[in-house]
Amino acid sequence: MEAVSFEEVRKVYPDGTYALKGVSFSVEQGEIHGLLGENGAGKTTLMRILYGEIKPTGGRIKVFGREARFSGPWDAIKAGIGMVYQKFSLVEGFTVMENIVLSSTRIGMDERAVRKRLDYLIEATGLKVPLDQEVSNLPVGMRQRVEILKALVREAKVLILDEPTSVLTPLEVRDLFKVLRRLRDDGLTIIFITHKLKEVREITDRVTVLRRGRVVGTHRTEEVSDVELARMMVGREVLFQLSRKKVSPGRPVLKVKDLWVEGDDGVWAVKGASLTVREGEIVGIAGVQGNGQKELVEAIVGIRKAQRGQVIIGGEELTGRATREVYDRGLAYIPDLRPVGLVMEMNLVENVVLTRIKEFSSGPVIEWGRAREEADKIVKSFNVLVDSLNTPVGRLSGGNQQKFMLGREISRNPSLVIASEPTHGLDVAATEYVRKKILELRDSGKAILLVSTDLDEVFQLSDRIAVMYEGKIIAEGPSESFSLERIGLLMGGVRA
Amino acid sequence: MLREYLQFVLEVIGSVLAGFSVAALIMSLMGFDPLKGLYLITLGGLSDPDYLLSRSSLIMMTGLAFSVPALASAFNIGGEGQMYVGGLVALAVSLYSPNPLLPLASGALAGGLVGLVIGALRAYREVNEVITAIMMNWTFYYLSIYLITTYLYNPLAPYRSVSVPEGSRLSTIDLSGVKLHVSFLVSIALALVAYFLVYHTKLGYEIRVSGLSRRSAVYAGINPRRTFTLSMALGGVFGGFSGALNVIGFTYYMDQLLTSMYGMGFDGIGVALMGRNNPIGIILSSIFFSMLLLGGQRMQVSMNVPKELTDALSGVIIISLAMPYAYRMLISYLRVRKVGRGAE
Ligand SMILES: Nc1ncnc2c1ncn2[C@@H]1O[C@H](COP(=O)(O)OP(=O)(O)OP(=O)(O)O)[C@@H](O)[C@H]1O
Ligand SMILES: [Mg+2]
Repeated sequence: MEAVSFEEVRKVYPDGTYALKGVSFSVEQGEIHGLLGENGAGKTTLMRILYGEIKPTGGRIKVFGREARFSGPWDAIKAGIGMVYQKFSLVEGFTVMENIVLSSTRIGMDERAVRKRLDYLIEATGLKVPLDQEVSNLPVGMRQRVEILKALVREAKVLILDEPTSVLTPLEVRDLFKVLRRLRDDGLTIIFITHKLKEVREITDRVTVLRRGRVVGTHRTEEVSDVELARMMVGREVLFQLSRKKVSPGRPVLKVKDLWVEGDDGVWAVKGASLTVREGEIVGIAGVQGNGQKELVEAIVGIRKAQRGQVIIGGEELTGRATREVYDRGLAYIPDLRPVGLVMEMNLVENVVLTRIKEFSSGPVIEWGRAREEADKIVKSFNVLVDSLNTPVGRLSGGNQQKFMLGREISRNPSLVIASEPTHGLDVAATEYVRKKILELRDSGKAILLVSTDLDEVFQLSDRIAVMYEGKIIAEGPSESFSLERIGLLMGGVRA
Repeated sequence: MLREYLQFVLEVIGSVLAGFSVAALIMSLMGFDPLKGLYLITLGGLSDPDYLLSRSSLIMMTGLAFSVPALASAFNIGGEGQMYVGGLVALAVSLYSPNPLLPLASGALAGGLVGLVIGALRAYREVNEVITAIMMNWTFYYLSIYLITTYLYNPLAPYRSVSVPEGSRLSTIDLSGVKLHVSFLVSIALALVAYFLVYHTKLGYEIRVSGLSRRSAVYAGINPRRTFTLSMALGGVFGGFSGALNVIGFTYYMDQLLTSMYGMGFDGIGVALMGRNNPIGIILSSIFFSMLLLGGQRMQVSMNVPKELTDALSGVIIISLAMPYAYRMLISYLRVRKVGRGAE
């Protein structure tokens, strides 16, 4: 039976963006259906329409054979659609139980029934969550489970997951997949959006590829190869291998000596980390999220105070200096969260100035004309897909935002680049592009500190790898000296 | 892009129509001729353009007093108190000053100082700026009354203060037949300065970034506490200037109950919201706001409508114009606050 069928769905956003140009395909009941496509292909748009959040400009959607006309998410929920956003919608100060009860009684369910159903669900699906814990104390993976439970309690028959794994650690991903398979075997229909072909292969039964608002094709997953999928997405061949030139590293650019940094909760997040990054060298920090990488980077950049230790950039001690000064010394920082690195409500020109205000002003006055030229240059040389430089950055698709942010930082011609999760949420082509750029930077003699939870990325790019665990760098060396297995163990705190 | 401008124009037209319909409905329910009423309340004020523009200049300034801090997501409800202080200081300084410049400048500075204190308390000591500002409004209200009735009182007319000396007054100038009050010209100039400051200077940019996303500000090396405080200080400057302008340009004294000022600080909030917190928008909305006010007075006289009703009518029209923007602002304001807490 068809759980959801899209028929010629079209969407034009109020600003004229033609996001969906007639999308038709169907999702069978009880399957995990992958949705794949370049950045800006329209995946999120299509799902927001299915969830009743925005209205289609044309076309029809049928849910279990009945035509769906949703005037808001509540209608979609009643029709059995559940959505787990990338940014969770949970009340921080409430316990898990309170959150679930709140979300389901709001649509008119009886509280007792909710509790009973919850007990049953936890038993049946293996989605174990600490019901009495406050949400603010839970790690990301746990919160995601709560979101899934929330949808299930509301009797979702179709569950939408928009890039659910990008926030998870490899271990959490494995658990999530286990749960999803079990839910599917119980008859739940799951729509799964991702950019990672590995995940498509691992978890989906069928997969639909979108390109520029149109369906390229729907296939049984085992009948298509990765190369074919990539070609369908991008419209050309994608190299999965990057060529690396041999570069012999030069003088040290960044030196961190015995750095101690407190986390937000006042507990040591970085416990005496030391490392060196030289010219023409990429040092990759591998580690499960939350092991002090963020605090380490923020302390280097001067966003966070280091309690002890030294940060030396280009031979000059910069410990505890203001962020602006650190940037002025030639450091460019690409943060892992786009809403941090970009001001979503501001347009592209205004966003150029964010970290480069000194460059684009004379005295107290900003020179918008020059900033506009620079924005134009970045858009052109980094292939950012956008109609006008006056578009608020928040309107770009995630991938295009990332390209623009990266372009802004690289065009500053820095001597040291710190990149946190630089390919987060990027499609295969954009990922390839960004990685190539990072290698180019290295080849031109820049020092690069890469922080990534994606092991493939760390291996592909790094000359040296440092593994971080519980605030300490527990292993460091040339990348050839590590195997994937060894790093996996080290990331889990097992010294091998 | 074009679609969005169109949308904005439609939003304004929709708001005007909605406001006018409700106002017309109220008038007919109360037994007044709605067409004549609407005509008077909107265009009646045009019969005395000089007075209209003079009045606009005062709320144009209090409008800026609200909107500059609002861009940094600071809620300056203290424009009222800053205006009292500005008036008071301007009056006192004018007694020793040979020209209007010094009293105006000191009034503005005094207002700015008040704003600075409110902003700094919030930014560095987590004291909510709304509460501080409301308390300060009352403090300065009574302080003004106290000073006017004691140190500054006029022995000839005890209900008011001494007068601003002739030499320190601003007055009307004649531009080849068109009479314009200098205050209006000065205010327009200041609004343009505010526009330049907000959209073309580093400080303005930093204020806007901090208002939109605190985390992005920190990432960019902007100190959000500093911009918050400075935006409040700037707001205070405009608030103080409004009070100074009132005394130096129009009344030339302050009366015991502050009747010539009372409420203009709050009017500024409506003006700012109607003008979408944009200084150019505020120039227009302050004039429109004054038109409604003066039109209301005309209505009272020629249609015998009670003041309460005309106030309610202008209120309805202003609210319907300010509402769509006020709503959006509130949403983003709440969001920034939340993020702000998360980042600390
Ligand atoms: N609110 C909006 N207003 C205008 N245009 C939008 C809006 N949201 C998305 N778009 C545009 O619609 C297109 C499709 O965007 P969408 O977010 O659906 O892409 P996506 O496939 O989810 O991409 P990604 O993989 O980067 O998340 C893009 O060109 C995007 O710029
Ligand atoms: Mg998306």
